Amino acid sequence: MLNTLVSGLQIVLSPSTFILIFAGTVVGVIFGALPGVSASMAVALALPFAYSMNGVVAIAFLCSVYCASITGGGITAILFKIPGTPSSAPTTFDGYPMAQRGEAGKALGYSLVASAIGGLIAAFAMAIISAPLAAVALKFGPGELFAVAMLGLSVLTCLDNGNVIKTLISGLLGLFLATIGMDPQTGVARFTWGNTTLLSGVEMIPVMIGLFAVTEVLKQTVKRAKKGGGNEMEGVSYKTAIPGVKDFFAVKWVMLRSSVLGTVVGILPGAGATIASFLSYTVEKKVSKYPEKFGTGIPDGIVASECANNAATGGAMVPLLALGIPGGNAAAIMMSALVLKGVQVGPLLVKSQPDYLSSVFGSMLITNIIMVFVALAIAKVFAKILAIPYSILGPVIIMLATIGSFALKNSTGDVVLMVAAGIIGYLFVSLGYSSAALVLGLVLGIMCEENLRRAYQIANGSWSKALNSPITIVLLLVCAAMILFPIIKGALPEKKAKN
Amino acid sequence: MTLDLIFNVVLLIASIYCFIYIGGVDNSTSTELGAAFWPRLILGIMIALLAVGLVNMLRKRDGKAPVSGQAVKEFFKSKLLVGMLICAITALILPMIGFIPTSFLFLVVYGILLGERRPAVLIITGAAATLILYIIFQGPLSIFLPRGYGFFRNFALSMESVIGMIPGL
Repeated sequence: MLNTLVSGLQIVLSPSTFILIFAGTVVGVIFGALPGVSASMAVALALPFAYSMNGVVAIAFLCSVYCASITGGGITAILFKIPGTPSSAPTTFDGYPMAQRGEAGKALGYSLVASAIGGLIAAFAMAIISAPLAAVALKFGPGELFAVAMLGLSVLTCLDNGNVIKTLISGLLGLFLATIGMDPQTGVARFTWGNTTLLSGVEMIPVMIGLFAVTEVLKQTVKRAKKGGGNEMEGVSYKTAIPGVKDFFAVKWVMLRSSVLGTVVGILPGAGATIASFLSYTVEKKVSKYPEKFGTGIPDGIVASECANNAATGGAMVPLLALGIPGGNAAAIMMSALVLKGVQVGPLLVKSQPDYLSSVFGSMLITNIIMVFVALAIAKVFAKILAIPYSILGPVIIMLATIGSFALKNSTGDVVLMVAAGIIGYLFVSLGYSSAALVLGLVLGIMCEENLRRAYQIANGSWSKALNSPITIVLLLVCAAMILFPIIKGALPEKKAKN
Repeated sequence: MTLDLIFNVVLLIASIYCFIYIGGVDNSTSTELGAAFWPRLILGIMIALLAVGLVNMLRKRDGKAPVSGQAVKEFFKSKLLVGMLICAITALILPMIGFIPTSFLFLVVYGILLGERRPAVLIITGAAATLILYIIFQGPLSIFLPRGYGFFRNFALSMESVIGMIPGL
């Protein structure tokens, strides 16, 4: 732990890396504050800047963008009742009424400090949990690793409130896309139809950039066409004031509970900052001595939401670094960036290249501290930044996404892939399918297949031997329970109604 | 509902086709799973789920025509389709005319689609954003953006030589 802290600080406090983290924090706060730019999109748009960096610096830079963008989302939620990122939606419940009462500065102060505390607690939790978890995972055989990857996918169906069948189809479609190209074990071409470009498989980065940037701009195009354009932002004058130590002491348990909850939710694959903030807000309302005051503009609501969504960022990095399974969309993008750099993501990473864990830890510590000051410093000009019309911002986002996809291999074919992914992604999301499940399927597909086939080979073609270890059985049973739970839950009210 | 139904049917047909297609490359042995096993497993489950989804959709229809055509008509009249076409055309012309003209045209045309009507704003912001992106990526980040062919290639080369003259880039 102490070694991780020291080496993390050594990495991130070197002048060039610190400048990049600082720049990432500024960009992240601004991106996060802009409605229509989610945290995942912010990380996707930051990718082309990371191509020329080495892997350790790149992950530190992308982490700073990720953490800062989650925090930035809370600023517009408080000032304009427009959450910059979906995870800041619960912040509007109490942040906006507080701002309306003339306490916008105080609300911002609570939001920024709570974000920093949530992020710092999660960063320490990540540093403590990742190494032992990776050590345990190193003892896993292919059967167990297959079960772990399947667990990551099945958690999504359990957490998704929408259509379970559509979520499952989305995950399966992602797994299917990962099979396109040359079979790594036998060298057989699969679903290439004679096309040599497809032999190397579907590139993850253009698909992700398409899904998170192009799809979002298309969504905004439709939204603005319905609303008739215009800019929702109006200048708000306010003074940013950090509440006193006494004020924070009054919400200390809220901060602690929300940070722990956010970290745990962040660790679950697919359950990102949005679920963490909503869940934390609901829990705090339930355990509060004054639940009726929630929604009227109390600090507890802001702290619960902002602590949890920032804590989820640290949580999301735990399965990525320890198991090679991303804990969310932004983590999936970071994982593909690491793969691009030739880094073998998985349990061995923490042991063989501990610099990556140190770098993420150091970046999260520094980002969570400096983002408070960065956000306070640029708070005065937020109204002006937010006044940039979407007719300028939207097309610039797509051009940035275009560069990100092109720069991957200097291939315009990847730009076509990005646009196709964006268009299909729009249809996909608007029809109620889950893009998070698709991305997770795409990222975990190779891991699932390789380990299943290896387990079968080691067991000499016996299924009962391939998946017979107690850990595998337990994990697969948990997977089955998670997939069946929403189906049974959905069927229960119908039974009651019939009775 | 209509679009959902079409999407489901298209996905189902494509899944069945892929399931049959990949069967042709099956190279399993008694101790090894072949290249077709995993895709067939995924596609098999997908086909079953898509069929269940399709049955659920048709059940919920309550006697209404499965394809009313209204949603399809609305889609063809929408800004969404125009937006999709602009993106697709941009991706296709990028290798032909290069980054600078493509970016400028895209920023102006998509800006109009998003409701910006002032020509001066469109031209100035389009040119400025293109130039900023070009200088950042072509200069310090050393990402060589597409040059295009013929006249456009010469134009891109002259721009690159201009950027090369700026100290520090």
